Amino acid sequence: MKNRLKVLRAERDWTQADLANQLGVTRQTVNAIEKGKYDPSLPLAFKIAEVFGLPIEQIFSPARDA
Amino acid sequence: MNPSKNTNTLARGIKRSGLRLFIFTSAWVGSTALLTFGPRLLWEYNVPVTVGAITLNVLAGVMMLFAFFRHLKTMDELQRQTHLEAMALTLGVTMIFTVIYGSLTTVQLLPETRPANILFVTGITYIVSVSRLWAGRTSE
Repeated sequence: MKNRLKVLRAERDWTQADLANQLGVTRQTVNAIEKGKYDPSLPLAFKIAEVFGLPIEQIFSPARDA
Repeated sequence: MNPSKNTNTLARGIKRSGLRLFIFTSAWVGSTALLTFGPRLLWEYNVPVTVGAITLNVLAGVMMLFAFFRHLKTMDELQRQTHLEAMALTLGVTMIFTVIYGSLTTVQLLPETRPANILFVTGITYIVSVSRLWAGRTSE
């Protein structure tokens, strides 16, 4: 799964720690999601969408189209 | 949403459950030592006292398990997944090692086997698995 976390975070001038704070996870988790090494659970993905104020599909997309 | 509250809640929760896990693990290790050495050194194989020491050991072990389960639930989801995958790996390695190690006396390669060695392999496998999995996912 691809995501735009890094871009969206940079647009808001947030550090990984800032985003992690808002999500209630560790900074390492945010880093792993940004690098595509970990796909977040559905509840966390919805929380990310809520924090950025965007629909979930504007943040996450499938790795390649089916 | 209060950002700092979220972070503090996670960190405090992990610290608290980690401390609880440390206390019950220490209690289990202590009661295991008591059960191992107590009958010979402290109460001269008195059966009721030995049964009491066994009960204490089992209770401490169960409390340790609950504390570990609680600690697991306190973690954030990447930490939890890392630990669960490490546990799956550890289970597999322990199974393979136990079968091989157990057969070493049968095929007369070892005069005797000690169960503590299996615990040692389990512990080392778990620590190495958690470290490698965590490093693999969180490397900068």
